[in-house]
Amino acid sequence: MRKEIRRIQELMEAADYVTDAPVATSVHLATILRKPLLIEGHAGVGKTEVAKVMARMLGATLIRLQCYEGLDAAMALYEWNYQKQLLHIKLEEGSGTPTEQREAAIFSEPFLLKRPLLQAITQETSPVLLVDEIDRSDEEFEAFLLEIFSEWQITIPEIGTIKAAHPPHVILTSNRNRELSDALRRRCLYLWVDYPSFDKEVRIVERKVPGVNARLAREIARFMESLRAVRLSKVPGVAETLDWARALTALHADHLDAELVAETLGCVLKDADDVKRFRAEVASAGIGKFIPVEG
Amino acid sequence: MAERDLQGAVVRFAGLLRRHGLPVTLGEVTDAARALGHLDLSDRHEVFLGLRAVLVSRVEEIPTFERCFNAFWRAAPADDPVMRGLVAPRDDRGPEPAPVETPAVAGQRREGVALETWRADEDGDAAGEPLGVPSVSDRDALTTQDFSTFTAEQLDEIARLTIQIARRLARRASRRRRPAKRRGLVDLRRTFRANLTRGEIIDLRRRRRKQKKVRLVLLCDVSGSMDLYSRFLLQFLYALQNVFGRVETFTFATRLTRVTEHLRGRPYRQVLRRLVDVRDWSGGTRIGASLAEFNRQWGYLLDRRTIVIVLSDGWDTGDVDVLATELLQIRRRAARLIWLNPLLGNPSYEPLTRGMAAALPFLDWFAAAHNLESLRALAGALRL
Repeated sequence: MRKEIRRIQELMEAADYVTDAPVATSVHLATILRKPLLIEGHAGVGKTEVAKVMARMLGATLIRLQCYEGLDAAMALYEWNYQKQLLHIKLEEGSGTPTEQREAAIFSEPFLLKRPLLQAITQETSPVLLVDEIDRSDEEFEAFLLEIFSEWQITIPEIGTIKAAHPPHVILTSNRNRELSDALRRRCLYLWVDYPSFDKEVRIVERKVPGVNARLAREIARFMESLRAVRLSKVPGVAETLDWARALTALHADHLDAELVAETLGCVLKDADDVKRFRAEVASAGIGKFIPVEG
Repeated sequence: MAERDLQGAVVRFAGLLRRHGLPVTLGEVTDAARALGHLDLSDRHEVFLGLRAVLVSRVEEIPTFERCFNAFWRAAPADDPVMRGLVAPRDDRGPEPAPVETPAVAGQRREGVALETWRADEDGDAAGEPLGVPSVSDRDALTTQDFSTFTAEQLDEIARLTIQIARRLARRASRRRRPAKRRGLVDLRRTFRANLTRGEIIDLRRRRRKQKKVRLVLLCDVSGSMDLYSRFLLQFLYALQNVFGRVETFTFATRLTRVTEHLRGRPYRQVLRRLVDVRDWSGGTRIGASLAEFNRQWGYLLDRRTIVIVLSDGWDTGDVDVLATELLQIRRRAARLIWLNPLLGNPSYEPLTRGMAAALPFLDWFAAAHNLESLRALAGALRL
């Protein structure tokens, strides 16, 4: 293993992120090749975490662009602060300042609202730009992003072209709510984050939930592993595992039993049909499928 | 292995991936070669992960990539001083991994079969409907005649007619404009610009989100007699595809197959053949299980701009409860759920099969798709 990759793993572990070789290798190549990294995976497997940890690791600022339906270029790049401009014009009325000067004043930096993309290219050092849940944005926005990624420059008619002196490291995440274009996919490095293995999940719980009982951590991980094999409409992710582990720890539990599971199931299953399906599974296969039975 | 050899190997590896359906670009090949310079070449797993990050761009490609990687990058003999970890084959093509049975591959071998089945349909129906088959020139009659009653020669003509009608509909749809209404968010930028000369804001400019194209997901039953209708529906919708943002196609009998890639950009004759090629011949129809498979693997294709069309006669040999659950899932996520049942074209038909009865409560639109006239009516329902 390259020492750079091992170092990334160590740094990530030090930043409380339980990692593995695929994540570390992808992050290593993304920083070296200077390519955006597209991370896909189910909800709650820690995709966004990668960007946060990467920023901490590189000592860079994290700039986050949260995508949603209807997000457009203006909201991602920059906007003029119209209210402030109007106010300025009103205040300047009758002051006798020449028109050109007044116009130059209102189209200057203090009146510019920098949105995440503009922020990302005007930093002193390369920041980490997190484009979160890109699958929620529209196709048009995706095309627009591609354009930005290829040039790293933005033209503001009133000010001129701003080119990034230090292009950001880019991480994109997607929950696969919408199919992304091939153009975007092919431009990025790709990382698929699956649900963690049993061992990894135990490590995550132990790392993230202080004071968790070691036996409980293992039983929770085993429970989640079996639960994810049941056909659910909302399969619980690591976020749910951690919520649950925290709740159980707060209840001073040191192991799982049927009653405790029934009482706290809401931490893990968040869909009425799934709860029903889980109960049916327990009724037919027995609770022993999920938790070790005493004796 | 010298660096030049390594680069050559990467190029050949990319070729192998392309032959197995991964659309690897030139840029990615360059990146892959660069990436190797930053990886520990004696660590085979690390090389695997690194190349995967660069050359794969969706999770579905990973199994193919893995197979190709294992076949191409053999482990090097331990005494090789330079490349302890891996070695690429020197011959130009590289050993091919075990052939993947993709419908595309199967298609090339089974063309003959496709033509035979086309004819088989004719034989079956010729016995039942010997009379009253109108001449091809009689177009009005053709548009109301059930597809299954045509002869093989007529089917070709009908196919052409289907496409003609679809094209006409497509042109009409693209000319239609929605009148702008006085709604939507105030567009500050344009309002400000428009009122610059007045000193006061008088005229408000608004913006509305651009109307987006509707996407389609087709789930076509290709078991038994359904296959013929599926072909016509597909032909019709593919001729219409410019009207839609995206058309995803799946076929099912006992299991689900995604055929979108195999249908893309091909002449309709080939499209028809491919559809037959992907048919599984095991008999029976498990609609519920096929839809479950769709939801699990392809559920992300559904959103509020997507219309789902199921074409089937509703004869489900599987569990009817599963069918109901899965339809509910689709119904929740998609904009509209349409079920086409060619049997509905028969006046005496009533949707009494257990599968069909279970499905009815979840449908937004239930219609036949048994002749050209009904396909035309369908086009009207494909708007949001």
